[in-house]
Amino acid sequence: MTVILFILLLFPLAGGVINAVIGRLLPRRVSEVIACLGVVGAFVMAAIAFGLGGWKSLHLIFFDWIKVGTFSAAFDVYYDPLAAVMILMVTFVSSLIHIYSVAFMREDTDYVRYFCYLNLFVFSMLVIALADSLLFVYLGWEGVGFCSYALIGFWYTNLDYALAGRKAFILTRIGDVTFGIALALFFYFFHSFSLQYINAHATTLSVTMATVFGLLLLWAAMGKSAQLPLTVWLPDAMAGPTPVSALIHAATMVTAGAYLLMRLFPVIHLSHMAMLVIAGTGAITTLYASFAALAQVDIKKVLAYSTISQVGYMILGVGAGDFVGGFFHLLSHSFFKSLLFLGAGCIIQACDEEHNIFKMGNLRRLLPHVYYPFLIGCLSLAAFPMIGGFLSKDRVLEATFIHPAPIYKAFWAIAFLAALLTVVYTFRMFFTAFLDRPDGRTADEIKPIPRLMTVILWPLAILAFCDGLLNLPFGPISNGLAKFLAAVPGARVDLGAPAAVSWGLGLGDAALVLVVLTLTYFVFRRPRPDFWGSLNETLFTAFYLDWLYLNLIARPYERFAAVLWRDVDERGINAGFENTAGGFKVLSSLMGLWTNGKLSTYLLMLLLGLTAMLTVLILSWHW
Amino acid sequence: MAYVVPFSHVLVLAAILFLLGAVCALARRNLIMILIGVEVMLSAAGLVFIGAAMRWQQLDGQAFVIFIMAVAASEVAIGLALILYSRRRTGTINADRYNLMKG
Amino acid sequence: MMLNFPLLSIVVFFPLVAGFLCLATSNRQLLCRSIALVIAVTELGLVISLATINPHPVAGPTGTWMLVESHTWIPSLGMRYSLGMDGISYLLLVLTAFINVLCVLISWRSIIHRVGSFHFFLLFLESSVIGLFLATDLFLFYLFWEVQLIPMFFLVGIWGHERRVHAAIKFALFTLCGGLLMLLAIIGLYLLHGAQTGVYTFAYNELIKTQLSSTAQFWLYAAFLLAFAIKIPVVPLHTWLPDTHTHAPTAGSLDLAGLLLKTGFYALFRFAFPLFPDAARASLPILIGLGLVGLFYASWLALSQIDVKRLVAYSSIGHMGIMVVGVAVWNMMTLSGSILQMINHGLSTTALFIMVGMIDERLHSRKFENLGGLWYKMPVFSGFFLFFAMASLGLPGLNNFVGEILIIIGTFQVHPVIGILSFAGLVFGVIYILRMVQDTIFGTPVKEHHHVLFDLDFREGFTLVLLALPILFIGLHPGPVLRLLDHPVQHLLTQFSAIATVATGM
Repeated sequence: MTVILFILLLFPLAGGVINAVIGRLLPRRVSEVIACLGVVGAFVMAAIAFGLGGWKSLHLIFFDWIKVGTFSAAFDVYYDPLAAVMILMVTFVSSLIHIYSVAFMREDTDYVRYFCYLNLFVFSMLVIALADSLLFVYLGWEGVGFCSYALIGFWYTNLDYALAGRKAFILTRIGDVTFGIALALFFYFFHSFSLQYINAHATTLSVTMATVFGLLLLWAAMGKSAQLPLTVWLPDAMAGPTPVSALIHAATMVTAGAYLLMRLFPVIHLSHMAMLVIAGTGAITTLYASFAALAQVDIKKVLAYSTISQVGYMILGVGAGDFVGGFFHLLSHSFFKSLLFLGAGCIIQACDEEHNIFKMGNLRRLLPHVYYPFLIGCLSLAAFPMIGGFLSKDRVLEATFIHPAPIYKAFWAIAFLAALLTVVYTFRMFFTAFLDRPDGRTADEIKPIPRLMTVILWPLAILAFCDGLLNLPFGPISNGLAKFLAAVPGARVDLGAPAAVSWGLGLGDAALVLVVLTLTYFVFRRPRPDFWGSLNETLFTAFYLDWLYLNLIARPYERFAAVLWRDVDERGINAGFENTAGGFKVLSSLMGLWTNGKLSTYLLMLLLGLTAMLTVLILSWHW
Repeated sequence: MAYVVPFSHVLVLAAILFLLGAVCALARRNLIMILIGVEVMLSAAGLVFIGAAMRWQQLDGQAFVIFIMAVAASEVAIGLALILYSRRRTGTINADRYNLMKG
Repeated sequence: MMLNFPLLSIVVFFPLVAGFLCLATSNRQLLCRSIALVIAVTELGLVISLATINPHPVAGPTGTWMLVESHTWIPSLGMRYSLGMDGISYLLLVLTAFINVLCVLISWRSIIHRVGSFHFFLLFLESSVIGLFLATDLFLFYLFWEVQLIPMFFLVGIWGHERRVHAAIKFALFTLCGGLLMLLAIIGLYLLHGAQTGVYTFAYNELIKTQLSSTAQFWLYAAFLLAFAIKIPVVPLHTWLPDTHTHAPTAGSLDLAGLLLKTGFYALFRFAFPLFPDAARASLPILIGLGLVGLFYASWLALSQIDVKRLVAYSSIGHMGIMVVGVAVWNMMTLSGSILQMINHGLSTTALFIMVGMIDERLHSRKFENLGGLWYKMPVFSGFFLFFAMASLGLPGLNNFVGEILIIIGTFQVHPVIGILSFAGLVFGVIYILRMVQDTIFGTPVKEHHHVLFDLDFREGFTLVLLALPILFIGLHPGPVLRLLDHPVQHLLTQFSAIATVATGM
């Protein structure tokens, strides 16, 4: 098992390193094959590992990393059902995205760099998913941050794109600060970084400490998972190539934050306070992002805000004490979101790099191969009854609703409202882009796209459509995923809600979704860019959050840096030293006047000196 | 017993000689004159040595004078050579024109 | 272990003596460079092989020396010529010799005037720094401390950029001020010790036993501290560093950042702390404070620089800040971390300086306004640049992370707030590093520069690979390096447990 998991990690790493080191010397096809092999190989390994012991919990050590005194961190993994499913999903979705990328990047000459980052990205995510030592997790965590930085800014000649990458890195790094603090604190309490050890001994923590841990980890998760208040980087992250967006949103990075909270569930679970804040963050972010998504015109930005919103559900699931539901949503989200992004990639290339949905239209006729998978993705995102997205979201909502603390009812209401808004923004985008309309695109405004790109959509579409089977709320294979995850500490197989509540919520949810969907159809079957009227600006800028950060934090920071340099360092400290030196220089030049270069002066001085010495000698002589 | 010049007379003469040499070295700008001034000062010092040798009846003083004369002779030789060379390079032997040492 | 064969002396003086060969062949440039390279590589081999002789020293009462050497030097004044090498000095020696190889390599094309004397000064500097890391007699130490100024002064003053003389003099004045104070303190200590025991000696092992009144300790320690703080440099004594870096030739910057700054640290924990434990303990909070201020201040300031090299110089000051914190917290983890960080900083900052030098060779400018979009024409260069930038901002898996995390977690165990602050400081680091990357290799390429921007040649690529390998090695498998530090650090801690701030069991 150790070998299998080691090879699993080695595959994408080796792919990335090979491409980085000698990729430029290889023919294009070879380099692409290496990259794809790196991920597909990892998927095969993940499947083998799953077959051999996906249900076990294993702590496997590869080798030592840092060891000083009692401080020790190793390269080791903790393979449990949660991780097993996670790596299956990550490697599977990433494999498809890699293959898709081969077609998507067909005209880009910088493919080596692209595939190198892509492989490393998957590697880092697998590390997060598997690692036992939190320090090793941190390696993956930062690795993901770096790769996203490099990939978002992949088209570096465009300054805005490069800036978007930088923004992502800095914001996630701000989130990481508390991860680092949590690391130090874990070491302080447990003298160990081992996730498994910490989880096993979590009960020794006081409630206060558990709260502290919960909040620290939440902040870290906020950075990676783009939750409020650290949301602003994700919409900008659209600057990268579309498959990268798919990777960031579906398989890697964004889910990492939620996943971390699930991995450390036994710790945060101890504190009601922390759980409450986590749930609140999730619920409010969900609603916030749904509002923002309502007014976007860029197809990728709609999807970006939808990701923020959907990740909010995962976090809410964790906060409601049911991380199984959160994880279920993570899985179904990864399928439909990668599907949607890859579909959007097809659309954008077919429409000649057009992102604006109001300049699309007629795509149902023009791109039928994209239309159907994309529809499935939209249905899943909008939680159309009995599709995976519906069941997972329903489970999260139910868990929130039945939580004993009354405030959770409010969270439930918020999240439920957001779920309905999801239907609106999803189908606003869908109808606007796909339905027939007279001012829409014509056939000669569509560029041909490789078959491969549309073929790849299908496996994802099937999964997005059927993944509800993983965890049906009823029937012979009910709660399959939950049962599989039962061995993970803190997992609840069944929510234990009374049947009436459970059915009532589910049916009510389904019915309302259908109603809202119908309404949306009638409102948005014709493009209505200015539907929100005066609210449009607020929604479009996501409540001016980005603007606030820019003007309240980023700009003053930069400006103060200049002040610090020019005024404090140069004119203050440095000038102080230089002036002291200058003073001595003036003094010495005054002395220099004396040495006028005239021999006669020197001789005179010589004699005067002699006379002076003699005089002193004579005067002090004891006669 | 032969008449002995008193030591104090020797000292006074040497002092006068030394002053004359010093004034010459200081007042003149001509390098050769300065060199002559220095020579005169050296002679004054030699005179004191001789006087002292007489006064205490020791030969050391006279030995010193021979050294001083030898040094002065070689100094004049080298000094004149230097002055000659400087004259050729700069075209002057005015001491104040040599101001490369100005600080 | 005492050898009859003066191995350590050979290690110290070989570069200096062999350096005369460079002077002799000054007018045949290629030969001269090759000789310098051979000398530097030989020295590196020699230094590395030192570890094979006595790799696991037995801890003695005076330290865990791997090799020692001691001869009478000026007996009437009690000065001995004594050298000693333990794990800490060994690592620093390897770093010194390694950086010197790089210095020769990167100057291959950029230095064309007075090639002989340039390489002679490089090797001279190497000798003095190696001697400094080995000296165990305080007077000998002082000697090496001051001697290293001479070659550095000329390296900056002769081969530097536009305001080189000003920079060289500034550097010399700052360092001399500290050095003279240290000399006074050394002599003071020598006299006090002599008066107490009747034995006048400069040997560190003897001086350490001196009983000092608290006032005497205070003044002597203050003089030592000032000397080392200038060299490290601790904010606010740092202003010589950016100027010197900006105007120094690349090789000079390498030596400066990679070696000279390290001497300040080395002296701080090797001599100043153990000699004056009480005064040192009192100063620890101040040092921690200054370290933190330095970290934030320099990182913040670096953001607004308009010259890449100056930005890297300020980043250097920031890194020093966190290392000062590590030393001042003074426990096993932080001290190991700080010492490791000395090596790490030596590698990653050096790499950045080299790359900035390469830009300068091509564009004859280091201003951000003239840069940007380098990736377009120089992909290999830019890949390396990104790599080293990431190492510098402490990406896990690369070297700086290991040192920083040790310092931070070690600090946190004792002073949680300071641990948190230093971690937060690293975010400031991210901002300026990303700004540097952004404005150098990303962005729109400048058309006019295309004809001068050629990618790395073999020599340059080789140099950078040489640097990248240890960076990866320390990042992924720091075990062997940390094991070397284990005993010496333990020794420093236990022998002077008086100043260990809190017994944390580490």
